[in-house]
Amino acid sequence: MGRYIVRRLLISIPLLLVISFLTFILINLSPHDPAELVLQAQEVPVITEELLVQTREELGLDQPFLVQYIEWAVACLRLDFGESYVTGKPVWSILGPAFFNTLKLTLVSVAVIVLLSIALGVICALREGRLVDKSVRGISFFLTSMPSYWLAALMIWYFSVKLDLLPTSGMDSLASYVLPVIVIAISYAGIYFRFVRSAMISNLNEDYVLYGRACGLPEKKITKHILKNSLQVSVSVFCMAIPIILGSTVVVENVFAWPGLGSLSVKSILSRDFPMIQAYVLVLAVAFVLFNTLSDIINAVINPKLRNDL
Amino acid sequence: MKSSKMTKFLSICTLSVVLVAGCSSGSNTDTGTTTDTGAKSASKETKQEIIYASSKDILDMNPHLYSGSMPAQGMVYESLVENTADGIKPLLAESWDISEDGKVYTFHLREGVTFHDGSPFNAEAVKKNMDAVQNNAEKHSWIKLSTKIVSVNVKDEHTVELVLSDTYYPALVELSMTRPYVFISPNDFKNGETKDGVNGFSGTGPYKLVEHKVDQYATFEANESYWGGAPKVKRIISKVLPQGETTFLALQKGEVNMVFTDDRGADSLDVEAMNTLVESGDYQLVRSEPMNTKMIVANSSRAGNPVQETAVREAIWYAIDRDTISEQIFEGTEAPANTLFSSNVNYANVDLKERGYDVEQAVKLLEEAGWTRENSSAVRTKGGKPLAMSLYYDVNSSSQKVQAEFIQHSLKEIGMELELIGEESTSIANRRSTGDYDLLFNQTWGLAYDPQSTISAFTSPSSYLHTTSGIAKADELYQKIEDVMVSTDEETRKSLYADILTVVHDEAVFIPLTNGSVTMVAPKQLQGISFKQTQFELPFERMHFE
Repeated sequence: MGRYIVRRLLISIPLLLVISFLTFILINLSPHDPAELVLQAQEVPVITEELLVQTREELGLDQPFLVQYIEWAVACLRLDFGESYVTGKPVWSILGPAFFNTLKLTLVSVAVIVLLSIALGVICALREGRLVDKSVRGISFFLTSMPSYWLAALMIWYFSVKLDLLPTSGMDSLASYVLPVIVIAISYAGIYFRFVRSAMISNLNEDYVLYGRACGLPEKKITKHILKNSLQVSVSVFCMAIPIILGSTVVVENVFAWPGLGSLSVKSILSRDFPMIQAYVLVLAVAFVLFNTLSDIINAVINPKLRNDL
Repeated sequence: MKSSKMTKFLSICTLSVVLVAGCSSGSNTDTGTTTDTGAKSASKETKQEIIYASSKDILDMNPHLYSGSMPAQGMVYESLVENTADGIKPLLAESWDISEDGKVYTFHLREGVTFHDGSPFNAEAVKKNMDAVQNNAEKHSWIKLSTKIVSVNVKDEHTVELVLSDTYYPALVELSMTRPYVFISPNDFKNGETKDGVNGFSGTGPYKLVEHKVDQYATFEANESYWGGAPKVKRIISKVLPQGETTFLALQKGEVNMVFTDDRGADSLDVEAMNTLVESGDYQLVRSEPMNTKMIVANSSRAGNPVQETAVREAIWYAIDRDTISEQIFEGTEAPANTLFSSNVNYANVDLKERGYDVEQAVKLLEEAGWTRENSSAVRTKGGKPLAMSLYYDVNSSSQKVQAEFIQHSLKEIGMELELIGEESTSIANRRSTGDYDLLFNQTWGLAYDPQSTISAFTSPSSYLHTTSGIAKADELYQKIEDVMVSTDEETRKSLYADILTVVHDEAVFIPLTNGSVTMVAPKQLQGISFKQTQFELPFERMHFE
């Protein structure tokens, strides 16, 4: 098992290299001259050619492309993503707190999503085609179709203003998590429980279930086996949900005034803060690779057959 | 066996979640000393503090740079003199003398004033601050005084002398502005400068910054040793709420209890929402006198774009029904504007060509300029190029969006296609300074700045240079602006201003919409609400709870 994990982690290294290289190239392909952007961001009114040359030198932009990339990549390993063009502060000092704020929100949301999806998936699969199944699917369809900003505003109005139970926004206490987590969970759990449900249903028709029943195993035990086998697909889905939500909280963060990655990334893109955008893309890409690896490892733990696939 | 591995795995996962949560709470950036009561104390019971909603963070509070929130800077820092409805009045300077040639200003400073860190405010501090600003002169080129200051000399502990290269009539007005000529404790300087950041934010103002959680809130506490007497409202919190709907709900709940027009001139609530809050009985709505002109700025130097043509800009001007905007969108709270500056602004009472709402005239202008409808298509073309432009608006302003949609519809009728793009205010400000726009919403800078600073800004790349540089008489215009600022004769000044205003009016680069004011939704019990000459600051120190 240990060897599998090591091998799996080694494979992700070239992947990360490719991603970092692409991130770097993409930004460099942009038509804007970074030196000019820096000067504009500093509100220098008259940008002269000398000033541009001087700024390029300061930023190391006069170096060959590969040298620039290697210097940047090595610095990134130390979480040194350079300085923001706009504020002049180190990128990680701004991105770091925002990242952890969003990560906290994401992890709590994913935990709720996993619990909800499994519970609903199992219930629906066991009652396939019956009223419970139909109504759960109907309601979830309805809820996931609601735009999240609208749902969020409704929830704030009802739970915070009318009932005065929760704060409307901000990140002051544990109670602040409740509404944003519910809004995120509703939009994802409504989709993910279908994976659990359909996996369960297809497993229900497998021979081992028939065999188990024939042997007189109690139904509870059979369900446990089915669930474990069905979770393989879902594990990947759930693991990937973390980076997906990390990268898509902008609407929820805006409504709930959550000081996270979403609003920061939009701000950086609009102000063409290249080091910030680069770091953001890289952090998200690393998150995708990491959680993908994690899901493979979890699956290998559940299903030993997979350990030899590498 | 397997299940025990699973358990191990799950417990590792749980542990990492806890760790991450633990780490991140420590990584929040704090500024200054932390108080035990944060924004949490925002509840209906504690009514003695002001918690105002703002769409963005207070950002960098360095008063010698431009990214910080102006209402926040206005609470913490002060200038030598104050611009009031009755002219320039003393603030940190008790009195001043001006030499006969108008080039030397001698300020007699108020005695016994200290910065928030306890260090004395004296002539030495004034010199250090002024020098720090001048050492970064290129960033302050929009404020013409920065190009005129030759030296700042300490005469004695409380007397300081400002020497200018030319006579410059708006000198005192520009010294009164929220930034950059305000004073921060020299102890906060980095290497004797402020241009690369500062170590703290100790001003002399009525409030001091005690806590700042980036993108969450900033807490200001009353400066008990303020020279003008300790302010009655003891705590002011600026809370970041990016979305107008949330602001409205937070006001209803009482988590925040104030909202006002932000420094970019945008209101996060629409008129209807404000009225609802007032009807609830908890709030009052207070409006300042008209302070500025809200307008669309046209980029006359935009190469290859229809907006370069005077006829197109004039057609836009004619095609907008300002009465409808005033009555329907602002419910009569803002009056229609037909000129860049309303006639009560100094030097702005000038006879200008009248351009009302006249669709036929707009169509005629376009036809004459060669923009025709080929095969009765919806959009006019000229030489195969469509008559299409983009209009940028502030996403945090509910009224700008509605106006943009209304204008888009109006222009469609005359065969003009307008693409609407909503962005954050900082991004729009960036577009204005880089010239990366066709049309965008903007406003004149308000009574304290109009007309001299707004007009100076016509020549500043970070402001309206791109707007004005594409017009035929640009060079002549800039020369006149240069002349008017140094003119000493009142009559010459009048005639120069008249010429300047006529040129930009005829070229229709600033398309006025309405006269805006500062709007404030405040708790019903809050008394003493007033406004300053500048729309960017509020006199919190004069407010008190009943």
